[in-house]
Amino acid sequence: MIYLELFISFALIGFTSFGGMSMIPLINDQMISHRWMTMQEVADIVAIAEMTPGPLGLNCATFAGHRTAGVLGALSATAGVLLPSVTVALLAAAFLARFRESRILGRALYGIRPVAIGMIAAIIVQQSMSNYVVAGSVSPATVVIGAVSLVLLVRFKWSVPGTIAVAAAMGLLLCR
Amino acid sequence: MQKQQSGRLPDILKTFFKFGCFTFGGGWSIVAQIQKEYVEKKHWITDEQLLDYTSMARSIPGLMIGNTSILFGYQAAGVPGALAALLGITLPPFVIMIGVTFIYSVFRDNPLVASAMTGVRAAVVPIIISALLKLFKSGMKDGWCYLIALSAMALCLFSGLSNVLIVLLGAAAGLLITEVKARHDLS
Repeated sequence: MIYLELFISFALIGFTSFGGMSMIPLINDQMISHRWMTMQEVADIVAIAEMTPGPLGLNCATFAGHRTAGVLGALSATAGVLLPSVTVALLAAAFLARFRESRILGRALYGIRPVAIGMIAAIIVQQSMSNYVVAGSVSPATVVIGAVSLVLLVRFKWSVPGTIAVAAAMGLLLCR
Repeated sequence: MQKQQSGRLPDILKTFFKFGCFTFGGGWSIVAQIQKEYVEKKHWITDEQLLDYTSMARSIPGLMIGNTSILFGYQAAGVPGALAALLGITLPPFVIMIGVTFIYSVFRDNPLVASAMTGVRAAVVPIIISALLKLFKSGMKDGWCYLIALSAMALCLFSGLSNVLIVLLGAAAGLLITEVKARHDLS
């Protein structure tokens, strides 16, 4: 059943990610291995989720669930991605003092944070091969747009939505 | 106490719904909004408590915003308060994304939209790179971290292992290395 599969898939994503961009490699992996989405659609999710209000992970879950199985699919995926909050975080809230003293999560995070960084580096490689290569050869127009975006974001500290707007305009001009 | 707390539910639901409509730019914008509304204006919690919740929310799996809402809501009005805060903050993005997905599905094959999206996709890798640069500082504490990060990257690219499994391996490595370090410091 697709709803249960979406719920489980996003619960796995939720339990193994720690917010923000660290979710993208996990979402990419689950979407591709279940054949629910293409690499391009995952890139679209990231861009769209960055331009709409709400946390990235939540937006991705809603988008992916809806694309795969309609509104009920969106509901299942969202419930899945929120499962750690209504279980682990609620327990932590109830046993605040004891939870704070436990070092287990902090120690596990010492290994998990670098893994997230490594996975994000890997998805940069994978997404590059999908976004800058058209029909087997590198597309110069997309490379130019990518370079301009990188400079805007890193050098000039532009906001993500602003950068996406510029990239869309350049796409209209250069990618016909 | 109990009566007073349940009286807070509509306030929590309404205020977090409002937060949910304007949470651009990740978790920190909502922390700022909670601070203004519930520390400065309503005095439900202190600055120290809020700082405590956010640092804890970051070390709990899942969405940092969801975890912060649960921790705050529970403190303010027990389990119903926690659920009200979570519902309030997730409802607006959920409804908006349903609309956005619908629009995306209808228009993505339009030639103009398709070329704009090709441009947008080209910006996604730079967006991920800039996020990676920010993560680097907090995540890479010593040489072990670089080893773990490189191994994780290699496993992602060249093995068929699922990312979920790779994260679990990372957690195990973290527990193991910190244990070895602690023993080393003792001796």
